[in-house]
Amino acid sequence: MKTMNQKVMISAPATATSEFWKGIRDELPLQLGVVPFGLMFGVLGIASGLTPLQTILMSSILFAGASQVVFTQLWATGTPPVFVGASVSVINLRHVLYSASVAPYLRQLPLGWRVAIAYLLTDEAYAVSIKHFQEQPDNPFKHFYLLGAGLTLWTLWQLSTTLGVFASATIPEELSLEFVIPLTFIAIVAPTIRKYPDLLACVTSGGFALAGHALPWNSGLLIAAVGGILTGWLAYRFREARMAR
Amino acid sequence: MIWTIMIVTGLLTFAMRFVMLSAVAPRKLPAAFEEALGFVPIAVLTAIIVPAVLVGKDESIMLLDNARLPATIIAIIVALVSRSVVMTISAGLGTLWLLTFLGA
Repeated sequence: MKTMNQKVMISAPATATSEFWKGIRDELPLQLGVVPFGLMFGVLGIASGLTPLQTILMSSILFAGASQVVFTQLWATGTPPVFVGASVSVINLRHVLYSASVAPYLRQLPLGWRVAIAYLLTDEAYAVSIKHFQEQPDNPFKHFYLLGAGLTLWTLWQLSTTLGVFASATIPEELSLEFVIPLTFIAIVAPTIRKYPDLLACVTSGGFALAGHALPWNSGLLIAAVGGILTGWLAYRFREARMAR
Repeated sequence: MIWTIMIVTGLLTFAMRFVMLSAVAPRKLPAAFEEALGFVPIAVLTAIIVPAVLVGKDESIMLLDNARLPATIIAIIVALVSRSVVMTISAGLGTLWLLTFLGA
């Protein structure tokens, strides 16, 4: 705590511009993981029969990688719209958590700012911003940090999607580059499995997804996701209750 | 049709990001809801990963003769040790290529 205060004191006072640039700088390293994923989303969109315009604009309209992949796969297999909407919503439910955790720091901002920040509040922008907010809760310009991080992520996501769309015809199928998508998710999920409820959520979801992979309308995904969430939560509750005793 | 679904799901996604920043939002989420939401990434992403690794193009489950399986196991180990997306992708894709092109 002491070293942190010293650091704040010796560094120049934060300005809107300095915060914006700091957000960009901290977000850039994460793009190493974002860009290959964006490229593969572009390729996947075209391979699934979406038009280039549909694929590229989905990256702005949804702006949420995992749900874009699922949207595309479900759409390509003729899933009814209600199932597409439900699946995308379940996948993006985690954003409610992000919204809740940044709210104490940003609630007082004008509506325009809150709308812009909500639009940009995706995984990688949230990850760096919440850390910054916790370190400097009293910094009056900290929303510029999220703006910088979010715009960096947004720009690279659009660029990599577009590049993927136009490169899709030239990528040989033998390279199995679509495997980048599950690999990205493995990199995100594996380190977050720390306790037994996490593992149970993972195993339940994986089991349901496998058992239900041939169900109509890809409903296996939705069942697996909801089943995993509920099992994890019940295990968590059970564990808490036992530890309280 | 696809545009309508895209815009509706886009609005839903935005709403989920905005809800707690809105003026009418409660100060805190109900505890049970917040706990359950913590499991969303694990459950959702696993549900995407498993079929992507184990289900073949012909919709059959492939446990043997599937180069993706060892590649996934290596990727999980690298992810746990390195916690790096780039390292995980490199290790997983590298293993897959090695197995595919060596014909193992």
